[in-house]
Amino acid sequence: MKGATMTARIAFGSIAMMFILALTANADGKGELQKYFNDAASKVKATENPSEKRTILNESFQTMSNALDIVGRSPSTSKADRVGIDRFKATLQEKQDELAGSNGYARVPDGQLNAFSLYVVQDMEQADQIISISLVTLLLIILLIVLLVR
Amino acid sequence: MRDPQSRSVMGAPHSMLFVSVCCAALAVLLSSCSADLPVQREAQQAEERALAATYSIVCVIHGDGDYLYHDTSGNEYKADEEALAGAKRVAQLNPHAEVFIFHQRPRRHFLLLFPLHDGEFYYYRNGRLIANESYWRDQEQSHFDPEVGLYRRFRADYQREMMSVFLYCGHEIPEVGGAGYDASYPDRTFTVHDLAGGLKDFTRHSARFDLMVLSTCFGGTPHTIGALGSFARYIIASPDNLHLSYFDLRSLERLDLSFRDGDVPAFAKRFAHQAFDLLTRDLQTTVSVAVYDVDRVQEFLHSVHRVYDHTLTTLKEATPASMATIEHCDCADLPAYVLPTMNEGVDVFYRPARFGRSKHKQTHSGWECWREIGPQDATSRSTGSRLFLEQ
Repeated sequence: MKGATMTARIAFGSIAMMFILALTANADGKGELQKYFNDAASKVKATENPSEKRTILNESFQTMSNALDIVGRSPSTSKADRVGIDRFKATLQEKQDELAGSNGYARVPDGQLNAFSLYVVQDMEQADQIISISLVTLLLIILLIVLLVR
Repeated sequence: MRDPQSRSVMGAPHSMLFVSVCCAALAVLLSSCSADLPVQREAQQAEERALAATYSIVCVIHGDGDYLYHDTSGNEYKADEEALAGAKRVAQLNPHAEVFIFHQRPRRHFLLLFPLHDGEFYYYRNGRLIANESYWRDQEQSHFDPEVGLYRRFRADYQREMMSVFLYCGHEIPEVGGAGYDASYPDRTFTVHDLAGGLKDFTRHSARFDLMVLSTCFGGTPHTIGALGSFARYIIASPDNLHLSYFDLRSLERLDLSFRDGDVPAFAKRFAHQAFDLLTRDLQTTVSVAVYDVDRVQEFLHSVHRVYDHTLTTLKEATPASMATIEHCDCADLPAYVLPTMNEGVDVFYRPARFGRSKHKQTHSGWECWREIGPQDATSRSTGSRLFLEQ
């Protein structure tokens, strides 16, 4: 039983490493995060129902936030990366608050949800806090998102 | 068998005759040319005048970093490749310009071992591509020596008579630090000071550039405009964030031949206005484009020089943790910068973001500064507190 668990862990570790190596070779970390939000925006646009649009956006924020939490808590994450992660999380929280109309924000009207999803993509594309997170940490975040979404 | 010697003696009169005939023919030819020479020379000069470059455009495109962006339909673009295509279009559509394009690319290897050139140079004249060379960027420091070398090799001799434009497309140029600007060379630093050094070499034998376009985020800081203002008469920059789709370059296509010195500020405003219109059409984030009349902003820059330098010293000493409590802001939000000269020489085109905490900020001074936010402010900002409430 113990052996089987170890084998599973090794297999998972190997897959994770291969995934990270493949991503490192073929993509930049920030670009992958941008694609994640762009995919969410495309889904929002493709949906007619405002409440579904909200769910898509909220889930995309929550999944990203959970991944950031996990990586941020990891002892292997550097102090500098933690600062970047905290700032990134704060930005996400603001967007989540605006979407929901909490913490003093007016709720994003139903008719502006497509525009809001574009705003999220464009804001992320120019977000300097992402740049301050190292590539390895960014790739870990992406790996976690892939796992959390499945 | 004939004696070879006698043959040569016999051939001498024929050779002389042949040379005489050639000389006579040449004389007739030259005389016939000289008869029409003034007319032909005038025609040639007119042709040269027509083909002479009236505009000199130098374009540096930084592509060694994260430059991916999406349009409103979700299509992916690489900012540097798009900027390159735009610059080439400008070069091809201007029959009276010489255009230098430097594309600073990421480091790549052939078969993972052999390094490939990390720069590509294009030189266009009269709308035609004259040279296209790969080159090595400086490997150790972010100087512009290779670019300046290529510029000097190809530039027209009559630079002083041309209207000159310098364009830089890339990420925010750091005012201090600057490590990691090039993704391929993370230890190399690149700052405003390095760009100013490059501009000094570009302009060594000529006056300042008539116009400089900084297609970067946060280009409109007192330090950046002050440092680069020594090399340009007018600067167009974005004081706030600038989306990676950059400023629209179409205003530079088909430049008008009747352009005169006094038209530069009017042209700069037209360029800024068109760039602003296109950005506001597609973007939900903040859009800000400012035109700085470098001579007219000097008084303001002198007034705030010390206080801004103090900020830069703080930034230099900042740790990653303390950087979390420092952020960009409109200089008008800081009392030390609110001076009667603040708006002198600056034309600002600004539209706030459609969403987010800066949604209700309706104006921008055109000057971007830094401010420290206390830990409490930082926390409350992160939780969307009353500090940034919707009104």
